[in-house]
Amino acid sequence: MSITKRLYSYYLLLPALLIYVVFYVLPTLIGLFYSFTDWRLDSETIEFNGLYNFERIFTDETLLLAIKNTIIFAVVTVIGKNVLAILLAVALNMNLKTRNALRAIFYAPSIVSVLVISLLFTPMLRSEGLLNGILDAVGLDFLMMSWLTDPSIIMLTISGLSIWQYTGFQMAIYLAGLQSISKDYYEAARIDGAGSWSSFVHITLPLLWPAININVMLTLIGGLKVFSEVFVLTGGGPGNASQVIGTIILRAFGEGNWGLGTAVNTLLFIAVTLISIPLLLYMRRKEVQE
Amino acid sequence: MTSLRKIDWKAGLVEVLLILLALTIIAPLLIMILGSFKTSSEVLDFSLALPRQWMFSNYAQVIEQGGLLRAFWNGVLISGVSSVLNIITTSAAAFVMIRRDTKVSNFIYLFFFMGLIAPMSIITTIRVVQWLGLYGTITSAVLIYTAMNSAFSVFLYAGFMKSIPRALDEVAFLEGANILDIYLRVIFPLIVPVNATVAIMVFMSVWNDITIPIYFLTDSSNWTMPLSVYNFYGKFSRDWNLVFADLTLTSLPVLILFLLAQKYIVSGMTAGAIKG
Repeated sequence: MSITKRLYSYYLLLPALLIYVVFYVLPTLIGLFYSFTDWRLDSETIEFNGLYNFERIFTDETLLLAIKNTIIFAVVTVIGKNVLAILLAVALNMNLKTRNALRAIFYAPSIVSVLVISLLFTPMLRSEGLLNGILDAVGLDFLMMSWLTDPSIIMLTISGLSIWQYTGFQMAIYLAGLQSISKDYYEAARIDGAGSWSSFVHITLPLLWPAININVMLTLIGGLKVFSEVFVLTGGGPGNASQVIGTIILRAFGEGNWGLGTAVNTLLFIAVTLISIPLLLYMRRKEVQE
Repeated sequence: MTSLRKIDWKAGLVEVLLILLALTIIAPLLIMILGSFKTSSEVLDFSLALPRQWMFSNYAQVIEQGGLLRAFWNGVLISGVSSVLNIITTSAAAFVMIRRDTKVSNFIYLFFFMGLIAPMSIITTIRVVQWLGLYGTITSAVLIYTAMNSAFSVFLYAGFMKSIPRALDEVAFLEGANILDIYLRVIFPLIVPVNATVAIMVFMSVWNDITIPIYFLTDSSNWTMPLSVYNFYGKFSRDWNLVFADLTLTSLPVLILFLLAQKYIVSGMTAGAIKG
């Protein structure tokens, strides 16, 4: 064994480790340090100011709103993308004539840049835009809204667009999961008299658990890191109604408040870690039980 | 027989619903593509109508005025080099980690895995890049993208390499090969399908990204396609035909790549996400 260890020398590991440490881990560690300082673009000296940055985050209305908006986006997109993606995957796992074409169509938007999708929808989501025009034409005029300018629904608009773009990506992972479930289970269930709903709840969902696990993690972590959608669609507006953690960091960076921006980042780091690791462990355990 | 007909009827209903749903995906994309061939006044109805006159000149205008050739080349360079560097470094690293299987190597694996979860710290990354004298350069973007995607690639490679029998290396060791020979001649040919998956995933995510260019590519001559589009939109936001031509051009490379490499994406996702 010790011979094999010597044979598998660590030097092959070093290039990847070096790049990863210098450009990912080191900035994160330095960030923890700078979070407790008054680091600014325009001042020569950097001094510790204890928990001042964090106090400021939790007393500043805009920063609090940004945290709330980030959570709204994460929760709405996790639920929206996963529920829709499971339904789509189950439907597209049936024996349909247009199955392959439909799979490709639903997947397509997730291949292109968030920026492309956001710019494409900008004119359509205006008050006098295409979406309201369609709603009016089909008699759903009570649903017509100022999608991009009404502060009370702006986060839902942004979440909705992200769901539109990425549900197909999540669907592809669920399809891969569904294809690994043996058909024997369903046949046995049918002989026992189980209906399709009952098969779905008692066979599909439990055996799909590994895919649900990975998809919930991916959408949750991605949701907490949201930036590009908001940056392109609203820039954080109207007013500050759609600020999220990602846009707050950009703003702090632009204003030269680097200590504060780094503290916001540290907070995001802690939040993502505290939420995702227990969730990961919980879902892993459930996976083993099924 | 009745039950069979009942299933057919249900499948038909599901199919009709799905086709209607698919239209909500196709329509906006078609509006963009058709709009890119219209005149600047005709495009404003944002409809699925065919252009009265096909304005191929929109594309020429966008390429010229948007400085797109430069942005296209930057995008290919940054995405391409990041993908290759990512493949070479992370596959070698995953190989050593999987084969050693000690506490230290398991710890390093977890250390990489954290990168899947932790958000990057942008402002301090800028600081590190400044220390290295690389701020604003394409090199810095390449290295950051390589680092950002390390976790995901290590995860995919490690999952796949577990299924390559150790006996292959042992035979080669007995023949006097060293680890570099084994990695290059034995392992590398076997991981070609995963390489394709990693290359495509990294290429697409880097090509589509705007965050890193916003923060790190301060000089617009280093910008990639999407950020140039954003800049272009700022100048030409009244000419939706030109904006749509720009958006279509930006999306074309990844759409072509996807069509060519579809099977690798799906198989890679199955191997990495479900079994890994």
